[in-house]
This record gives sequence, C-alpha cells and structure tokens, in this order.
Amino acid sequence: MHFVNVKMASSGVHAGRHIYNKSLIFLNNLELIYPRRALACTASAWQKTALASNGSSEEIVIPRKKTWSKEALLQALTSTVKRDPTAAHYTFQDDSYLTPRTSGEFKLYSLSQESGKAAAKYFINTYPKFFQKDFAEPHIPCLMPETFELQIEEVSEAALVERIQLRKVKAAVDMYDQLLQSGTTLSLDLTNDLLDLICLYGDQDPKDDSDPEQKTEDVVEVQDDPRKRRPRIRRASDIVRVVWKENNNAERIFNLMPERDSRSYGAMIQGMARHEAYDKAFSTYTDLLNNRLTANVHTFNALILASPEVREKYIEKRDLIFELLNQMAEQKVRPNLLTFNAALRALRRCGNMARSQALLIFGEMKALGITPSLASYDHLLGIFYKAASSTQGHTEILQDVLNEISGQSFEPQDPDDVMFFLNAMRVCLEHKDLEAAYRLHSLMQEGENWKLLGDAHQQSMYYGRFFNILCMMEHIDVVLKWYKEMIPSLYYPHSQGMIDLLQALDTDGRLDLIPEIWKDIKQMGHDNKVELVDEMLSLMAREKQSSEVQESFAQCALDVKRRYVPSEFGKPVLEWTANSLGSITSLLLAAEKRQQAWEMMKLFKASNRVPTDALMEDFLSSIKEVQDTNQAVELVQMSARFCLAGTPMLTKRVKEEFVLTEDHRATLSSLEFSSDGNRDLTC
Amino acid sequence: MAASLTSRCAMLGATIRRLSIGGCPSLEVRGIHSTAICYKNRAARIRVGKGDRPLNYEQALHPHQIGHRKGWLSAHTSNLHEEEGAADRTVEDVFIRRFIFGTFHGCLANELVIKRRGNIIVICALMLQKVQPQKFYFLIGYTETLLSHFYKCPVKMEIQTLEKKAVYKYV
Repeated sequence: MHFVNVKMASSGVHAGRHIYNKSLIFLNNLELIYPRRALACTASAWQKTALASNGSSEEIVIPRKKTWSKEALLQALTSTVKRDPTAAHYTFQDDSYLTPRTSGEFKLYSLSQESGKAAAKYFINTYPKFFQKDFAEPHIPCLMPETFELQIEEVSEAALVERIQLRKVKAAVDMYDQLLQSGTTLSLDLTNDLLDLICLYGDQDPKDDSDPEQKTEDVVEVQDDPRKRRPRIRRASDIVRVVWKENNNAERIFNLMPERDSRSYGAMIQGMARHEAYDKAFSTYTDLLNNRLTANVHTFNALILASPEVREKYIEKRDLIFELLNQMAEQKVRPNLLTFNAALRALRRCGNMARSQALLIFGEMKALGITPSLASYDHLLGIFYKAASSTQGHTEILQDVLNEISGQSFEPQDPDDVMFFLNAMRVCLEHKDLEAAYRLHSLMQEGENWKLLGDAHQQSMYYGRFFNILCMMEHIDVVLKWYKEMIPSLYYPHSQGMIDLLQALDTDGRLDLIPEIWKDIKQMGHDNKVELVDEMLSLMAREKQSSEVQESFAQCALDVKRRYVPSEFGKPVLEWTANSLGSITSLLLAAEKRQQAWEMMKLFKASNRVPTDALMEDFLSSIKEVQDTNQAVELVQMSARFCLAGTPMLTKRVKEEFVLTEDHRATLSSLEFSSDGNRDLTC
Repeated sequence: MAASLTSRCAMLGATIRRLSIGGCPSLEVRGIHSTAICYKNRAARIRVGKGDRPLNYEQALHPHQIGHRKGWLSAHTSNLHEEEGAADRTVEDVFIRRFIFGTFHGCLANELVIKRRGNIIVICALMLQKVQPQKFYFLIGYTETLLSHFYKCPVKMEIQTLEKKAVYKYV
C-alpha cells in the first residue's frame, strides 16, 4: 500500500506536495469504490461502472468525440420553433397592407417580386463593370455578373464549345457547319456533345423569358417582319410541346458523322423519345442493335417511357416493356431507380392487368437494393386506383404503402415525386378514409418531406382536398381548429371549399358561427360568388335562432345587402336572386327590423323577382305585432300585384286579425274582385 | 544696412512662423478653409418657424439627444475598439440611403434604419401606402437583388407601411 511508503521530507514544501499527492491517491482509490454521482448519468459511465463491477482492468473508456456540422446549432434552434399560422408566407413582408389575402394576390405579389429580381439581373448583366469589385471573402460566385453573350467569334473548336456551354442551339449548329466546310475534323466527343445539345432541346433554342422578341413554336412558316407580327396569347401548350421535325439538324448531323458510337445513338434515341417521335426512336434502337452496340441506362429509360405509345393493346405494351427490361439484362446494363419508375409509369397505361406486374417490379427493386422513391409509390397508387372508377371501398394498397413509408424522410429523386402527396390525398378523399388522410399528413410533416409537396398550385390542391375530407368527416371543433391553422397561411380556399365548410357547420348545428365565416369570405374575395352567398343566406334564414344570434345574422344580412347595391362604378357586385331576397327579408323580420324588411319588399318589384307565400305570411304575422293596418293592406295589395296564390288567404287573415276602416275594407274588396277577375285571365 | 522692405518682411514672417511652431500662443497663423461652412451646433436641427411645418420624431429631436431620446439610424460594429472599416460602412450607408430614396420615390415616411448582422445588411424602412402592393414587391425584389450583387452580401428589406406620415410636432 502506498500509505506505508512515506519519504522523509526535509522542507515544508516537499511535505506539502507529499500530502497533496497522497490525498489525490486517496481520492482516486475512493472513486473506484464510490463512483461520483454525476458520472452515473452518462452512457460512458455505465460502461465504466460495468467494467468496474466486472472486476476487469481499470481501463477508462473515453467516448469518441462527437463532431457537429456547422449548421447543427441552427438546426437545433429551428426545431424549437413551430410554424406560425397567423403569419403570411415567408417571402412576403410582414405588414397588413403588403400581405396577400386571396390566392390571386398571392400569385400577383410573388410574381411581381420575381420580375423585380429579373429586372435587377438584367441591369447587372448588361452593365457588369459596376459589379466586378469583389469584397467577399471567400468569393461568392452567384453574386457576380454573368455573361450570356458569345465572346468568341472566329470559326474554331473553342467557339463551338462555348456555344454548347451557353446552350445556344442554332448558333452551335451554324458553327459546326462552318467548321465542317472549312475542313477541320472534329473529335467524336465534341460531336456527341453537340448532338446531346440538339436532342435535349429538340433543335430549338431554349425558351429565354427575358427575350421579348421570342419566336414561339416549331410551326414552319415564313418569318414575318417582327413589326407586323401581332402578339399572340401565350397558351400553356406553347411552352411545353416541342415536336421532333423530319430531317432536322440532329438527323442531318447524325447522318453526316463518319463514325457513330453508342453515345450518339443514345442521344438520338433519347431526343426522339422526348419529343414525341416514338417510332423513330425504336427504329434507331434497332439500328443500334444491328451495329452491335450497347445502349446505356438513360437510353433504356427513354425507350421504356416511350413504349406505351407505339403499341395499341395492353398486353402488347406490357410485353414490350418486359422485352426491353430483358434486353437490358442481356446487355449487362444495370437498371437504376429511374428505370423502374419509367416502367411503372408506362404500366399505368396498361389497364387493370398491370397490378400484378407492378408488384413484381417492386420485388425486383428490392432485390437489386434500390429504395423506391415517392414517384414509384405514386405510380403504384395510380395503377391501383384509377380516377373515376367505382369506389370499391378497399384502401389496402394505400394502407400498405403508408405502413411501409411511415417515418421516412425522402429526397427528391424523380420529377414525378411531387405528385405523390396530391394523388394519395385524392385517393383518401374518394374513399373517405380519414385516418389515412391523417397519416399522410403526418408523413408530409416528417423531416424534409414538405419539400416534395410541389409548387403553389399543387400545394393548394393538396390542402384543398385535405380540408374537404375534414369537413366531410370530422366534428366541427376539429374542423375549426384545422381551419384556423391552415387558412389563410397555408392555402386560400376557393368558393367550393367555403361551401363545404358551411355544410359542416350546418351538420353540427353551429350556424351561429356564420357571421364570422362571412368576414373571412369577404377577406378572401369570395363575396362575389352567387352560389356561396345564396347558400349562406338560406342556411341563416332556415331556422329560428336565439335572439343574439338572430341580431348578428341581421347585421350580416345588411352587410350582404350592400353588395347588391350598385356601387359608384355602376354595376353591383352581385345580382339579386329570389332566394337571396327572400332570405334577407326573413332574417330582417326575425330580428324585428321591420322598416328595412319593408324596403326589401320594394326591391322585389324592382328586380323582377317574386316573393314566396311563406314570406308574405311571416311578414303579416310580424305586422300583426305592431298592428299597423295600413302596412297590412299595402302588403295584401303587393301580394295581389304579384298574383300570388296565397292572396285570398292573406286577405282573409287581414280582415280577421286587424281593425279595418272603411277605406281599407273598400280596398280589400276591390282587390278580391280584381283578383277573382284576374285569376281567370292572367294568374 | 539699408535692406529692402520685402526682405525685411520676409524675415519677419519667417521669425513669426518659427515662434509659432515653438508654441507661442499670441502669434498664431490661420490657414485657408476650403469647404463650405458647417457648424456643429447647426447640424440636423430644424429651427422653429411659423407652426405649419410638420416634423416627425427623428427630425424634431436634435442630435445631442442621440443615446438619450433618440436611437441610432445605422447599426454596425466598426466603431468599437480595434475594429476596422468604419469609413467603408458609412459610405455604404450613404449610398443605400440615396438609392432607396430614389427607388421608392415619394414613398419614404422616415429615415432608413440600416442594421448589419453577420454578413447581411437589413434595411428597415417606413413607407407610405402611395403605390399598390405589387409595385412595392417589384421594387423590393429589384432593390434586394441589385444591392446584394453590388455589395456581395445578402441584403434584405423589412418594410412597414403607414397611411400618412406620423407627425410628432409642428414648428
């Protein structure tokens, strides 16, 4: 034991150090017996104590140092902050004047911001000399001006390379032709690059939005003087469809090439498949096989995508797909995720028999170790749930898919990934499966999956469908909770969504919330939709409510009435219908605002609408409470003018319930006679 | 003995200058002032007038109130001990103020506040609701991109809008 070995110290310092050392050793020994409480909490301490208790050597295992990425702290902080449902989208300014309230405004403001950015980029790229000074340490390449103009003018290979890099298709083809005429032989790689460029863009220059002198389509016509050409409305189809022309530059260059390798063939096949020349694609593929070359995986993907277009029957399509896959295996080309996604997408066009094949393909993917992406699941759902087919009520496939991918976070790997959430929510809606909808929504909020919701339009469709199924199936409190959370920060519902919400309120008997919803409707700009306003008014007017509610309904009705009055621009926002007039009148009556209700009755005549009998009866009962005989008689006169069938009833009631003077009696009798006479002729 | 007048004056001037360099307080030399006159006690002060000129809070309080009743319009750290770049930041600020004044013409309600956090510049502005929101967004997108490319750092704008200018008092 150490304690025995005491060295005789001469000076006090030595003695002090001695005592210090001994106390350290003493404490260390103590620690082994009674480990410190703080250590017991860490995982490493469990290891330590386990070792100590095992009686093995007193080796202290120091755990490996954790390295955190640079953004780890920021990510930890962001995980503490949830989405704020009262805030507008993050791209907008946080000010009530500048926050969009309808989906139209959302689009307008974000597009105007983008166009401002484009204007700034135009100036930066046109006058780059003001933006060349580089203070940033390290250099930030995206904040430097870019050059899109061609620098090299003389005929050379470098010029061709530059044109290919700047994606100027026509200029590149011209340069190539000039090079050939001048006699220089170009390398195969360079020619392949050129072919890739032409085939990708289908022999058109890529659409450059900043260029106002755009030539739009591939229709071959004489180019007019630009001043004479009238501006055409840009249709959505203009943007997308570029069709492969006969004998275009790609084919010409391809035929001119002295030697072609598999890359050239591949470029041609992919270009043809992309631009709807499917038969040509397959014939080029047979050429490739005849020249005993092998195609690469991208070529096969393009061919598989094109295969449903070249065959008519379902069976033939499926056979072609499988034949291509077999040839891929023979040529020892390894399929990737996009291959299988292409196969699934092609199988969507193959009818009901594709179901078993789709599951086979999933098995293949698993066997090869490729994880399916969201696009694969989307195609699977598309195969199993055809739109507008009869709802058989079974959602097992959806449940299976959700089971398999729950808790996973996906990355974008295929452009079709964004359609998954949209289509899955449509399936949930059609089969009225609320639980699946909730699971889907929680999957969407998992990790990075929110990035795969798509652009603003797709997002609004997703949320619209989700809200729809909630309104249909859930209790009103839950619906209102989701309403507050989603609207308007996540999506702006259209008028059909608001009608659904009103019906949900009706189902659960919470009609007293309608004035609040009316405020939201006004804010979202749906107050000019006739069906929505009519629906709301008839719901309010249908039953008698308690008096405060009735009062708020009447205020709401007066507010609605203002929408029908022509504004200073001449045309009113809404047109009167018999339903709306009647509902507003009965609401005003129920809240005992007789004077305003009387004005409403005059509006009936003005807008050529006929009130219902029930309305007249209600009005009469209401007048009875004040015993205003004049008004009662006027009411009967009005009813006679409209030739209502209930006029005699009204007349009888007035005679019985009111105290009538001679004038009144005379008027009523004349009405009776005239109505008797008129009934034969007109009513 | 009979030295000329000019040489005597030159000698006198040289002697006086030598004396003044030596620190003699009564014989001092005054230099030439080549800029316009700007007295420190008249800077940023709008003088009291008839009573019809509206002033906002920034204009109404004089510069000696900065730190007491006023805040700073420009926040950066280059005025701290051993930090460099104060002059560059000031020049940038002046440019940004003129740029925004010209771009959002007639819409500014008050002076800009420029904050620097990390390497980003945040421009906080109070605007009047003179133009439609989509025009505001066009100008905001344009300003942010142009200034970001100019200064090689992210530039963000935070705008608040008012119906009309907030008047503190009339002088």
